[in-house]
Amino acid sequence: MNFPLSFWDISLWLAVTAIILLITSELISPYYGKTNILINKKRLNHTALAMGILFLITVAIRIYGIITSL
Amino acid sequence: MSKNKKIRTVQASYKTRAVLHKITPTRLVSVFLLALGLIALAFSIIYTSSILAFIGLGLTFWGTVTLYIASEKYVKQTLLNSIIIPSLSNLNQILTELGYQGKAVYLPPKYLKDPETSKVYIPKNKNTKLPTPEEIQQKEDKTFLKNPEASLITPPGTSLSKLLEQTLGTSFTKVKLENLQKNLSKLFIEDLEIAEDLEIQTKPTEVAQKVADSISIIQLKNDTIQVKITNSIYDGVCKEARTLTHICGSIGCPICSAIACAIAKASGKPVTIEKTESTEDGKVIEAYYRIIEE
Repeated sequence: MNFPLSFWDISLWLAVTAIILLITSELISPYYGKTNILINKKRLNHTALAMGILFLITVAIRIYGIITSL
Repeated sequence: MSKNKKIRTVQASYKTRAVLHKITPTRLVSVFLLALGLIALAFSIIYTSSILAFIGLGLTFWGTVTLYIASEKYVKQTLLNSIIIPSLSNLNQILTELGYQGKAVYLPPKYLKDPETSKVYIPKNKNTKLPTPEEIQQKEDKTFLKNPEASLITPPGTSLSKLLEQTLGTSFTKVKLENLQKNLSKLFIEDLEIAEDLEIQTKPTEVAQKVADSISIIQLKNDTIQVKITNSIYDGVCKEARTLTHICGSIGCPICSAIACAIAKASGKPVTIEKTESTEDGKVIEAYYRIIEE
């Protein structure tokens, strides 16, 4: 019983999610029109940035691993 | 059943209603996604399946995100107009019936005991000189002043101005007039989403200063500020307030009033709303403010 995803799988997933969220948060209109789902744009932006930072941390870990293995 | 038991039953039913009221379809879908994601993650560990793990990760993530980002409450814009208009109309009627003709002056903090509050001074007659800060401070708790006859009221945009300060994290008294443009634009467009666009321009006016009989120097004074607001949420209010003579162009609608409060605090000088112009549909509002030199 092991978690099937490796560290790099998670890193890739984080990258894709961060890109989707960042693009959505930038393109989303502040005027919602008639909709039932009300989105807090600022929170969406914060989530996108958090995902981006998490991905960058995984990249930093990878770079550190390459440097120390030299 | 005793009286206490009845009260408890009623309270419990109110609580249940409040909880049920909080459960919206969006929230329900988010919780369902989250639960499904966690189940998928658990199964992915049991069966060591990477596909199930990706599905689980995705569902858990989107469930959490939708719960987090869709939690803000909004009210319909039409409610805003129907609440504001009657109070503005009442204020206009009172000033008209009392025969007030003077231009409203937004007072800077030095005129008031509490520098965080905002007051507007409306003289009864035109061309009445603004009293000194000490004179106004003595009569600050009164609404109608004598010698000279005037009224001292809380402007319609004072709460909005306080909300702007809260969002900015500082008082406008600590903001320089030069930085106000940048701060107000950010507050109106990004932070509070009050308008689609806000432009502030300082317009210099020529003032001739006589040095000798035949010589005069033309000096430029940055005392007029032009503010252009595009597609604000208050466009309906502005459209309705156009017919109210004391509001439009003197005290101002809540949005123009809030900006006047901000300018008065930032400049530390009295401010008047010279004129306001708006398009037919009220989508573009242009307000001209003048900083009065004491």
